[in-house]
Amino acid sequence: MIGTLVAKDVKLFFRNRFFATVTGLALVLYLAIYFLLPLQTENSVGVAIHLEDPAASSEFRQRVAEEEDFTFFPSKDEMLAALEDTDDYFVGMSVPAAAAQAVARGESTTLQAFYAPNVPAEAKQVFHELLVFMANAVNPDLLARLAPIEETEFVLGHDLLGQSLSVRDRFLPLLLLAMVMTEVLGLGTLIVREIETGTARALLTGPLRLPTFLAAKIVTGLVLAMGQAVIVVLVTGKIVVSPLLLLTTMFLGSLLIVGMAFFIAAISRNNTSVLAWGTLTLILFLIPALSIMLPGLASGWMELVPSHYFADALHRVLNFQAGWADVARDLSLLAAAGPAALVIGGAVLRRRL
Amino acid sequence: MTSPAISVKDLSFSYGENLAVDGISFDVAEGEVFGFLGPNGAGKSTTVRLLTGQLTPQAGTAELLGMDIVSERKKAQQEMGISYESTNLYEQLNAVENLNLFARLYKVADFDAMALLERVGLSGREKEHVANYSKGMKQRLMMARALVSRPRLLFLDEPTDGLDPVSTQTIHALIETATREGTAVFLTTHDMVEADKLSDRVAFIHEGRIVALDTPAALKQRFGMRALKVEVRLTNGQTELREVTLDESGTAQAVHDLFRNEHVLTVHSEEATLEDIFIDITGRGLQG
Repeated sequence: MIGTLVAKDVKLFFRNRFFATVTGLALVLYLAIYFLLPLQTENSVGVAIHLEDPAASSEFRQRVAEEEDFTFFPSKDEMLAALEDTDDYFVGMSVPAAAAQAVARGESTTLQAFYAPNVPAEAKQVFHELLVFMANAVNPDLLARLAPIEETEFVLGHDLLGQSLSVRDRFLPLLLLAMVMTEVLGLGTLIVREIETGTARALLTGPLRLPTFLAAKIVTGLVLAMGQAVIVVLVTGKIVVSPLLLLTTMFLGSLLIVGMAFFIAAISRNNTSVLAWGTLTLILFLIPALSIMLPGLASGWMELVPSHYFADALHRVLNFQAGWADVARDLSLLAAAGPAALVIGGAVLRRRL
Repeated sequence: MTSPAISVKDLSFSYGENLAVDGISFDVAEGEVFGFLGPNGAGKSTTVRLLTGQLTPQAGTAELLGMDIVSERKKAQQEMGISYESTNLYEQLNAVENLNLFARLYKVADFDAMALLERVGLSGREKEHVANYSKGMKQRLMMARALVSRPRLLFLDEPTDGLDPVSTQTIHALIETATREGTAVFLTTHDMVEADKLSDRVAFIHEGRIVALDTPAALKQRFGMRALKVEVRLTNGQTELREVTLDESGTAQAVHDLFRNEHVLTVHSEEATLEDIFIDITGRGLQG
């Protein structure tokens, strides 16, 4: 029975010109964007420097000369122009003449840093650390006078240090989540249409029981959501990265999305309200994945959005070759959130059938 | 004695304060067409929903083929075919796909969709999406879908409402064939002519209660008077209409006198319609 219903639903989905077109176009478009995004990573962090008193700072120049990311400019204006007009530098600094001496004397001093647009908070933090390094370059004795600190590093979880990600890699979890999430609209519309046109009533007053009807919709949702995601990981070649773990993650994530689709279908009167509620959910659920592309967006509240665990698990598995143990927490929370969404969504939907 | 196909006892249902069905009782025999008549809001649709398991009765019982509609709902539903008032077909599928879907769900062996479509006059259009069908075609397809599982009970809710004469005739023929095969038909309709023509018995429902239940002929005899309408030519050349009430003790003499004393031009017999009787009983029409 479930197979018959799923075959019917998939047929209806693809006979709906809007959804068939949107699904096909979205798949092609997302993949095109993926392959157009740069695969290379940009690890250099150019720093533009103007020293007001080059003579007094010759020692400093000598010490940092081997650092290829440092470029010295003869004037502050030239330094600022280079910062604004080229993409070679992310920060510029004009070092006052007295600064080096003040640092050498162990006194505090004020430095002005000029940042290029779009510099994330993390990069600013990195530059702060760099200033400390520069201070040490000016006065190595300063550091020597400090009590020696022996530092032992412990990395919790997978050590991501040095594993720079290309924009393309960062985009992939967002792409997969978006493809799966779109089915909130597809499945929601299918269910609402069945209620609106009375076909659900015809089925349920006939041979079908409600749990079978709902089970068929779950399978349809999984087929539609996972189907596209599987195509994406096949085309991008990412399926070879822990296939079973990847499929499990996508399965649990898709369950969550199907549960949301049930809930949205239950509270929607017609296709327009499915579109409205679905789009709101889509935006909320995509934010955690956006924070992978743009790490500056990451914030604690995102952990309250269940899709965070889906996006995070995808990110770790796809981009850092994380294993089962590494994403156990994400998967556990998804395994709880998905069925919970289904139960709540199914219970609400039941009232309309 | 065989048990009735439908047996309803003191069935009641209310939507909040509004009592929609108020303790109705009736039986429908196998192979019988039972017309269930009443104006909008009288309780017809609620009764159908109760009998088809879409609503749970708040009082009373309903047994279909000996199965309680509450405790054996799914089993009873397997034996019924339903044609709804508004079309609820998969419009993006074609007729064959619609019928095959239900045949698979009902697990009907050796189902022949084309043969059924032939019976409802839809062969030749079977590959078109249902969305392109006319209202009459959709209604005939609904009827075909109701027959997919070869049901022993058929619930037809306004099956010919707004249809052309050809579609209406096709559906009437299907109902007659079904009853010949022993299927009990529960027919709700506004069309009194249709109810009169098809129903073995009719029940009038008014404000949730059954106010009359009998064969159409018996109801007419009990509540309506038959009459002869006679057109006569007067001596001044003008015509006049006379009426002679039938089935009374003086009827024969009245007819005799009329033909002996008047120049009779035309004679028509006239009898009360079911609608006349309904108005007579309830004081209101069926269209309200």
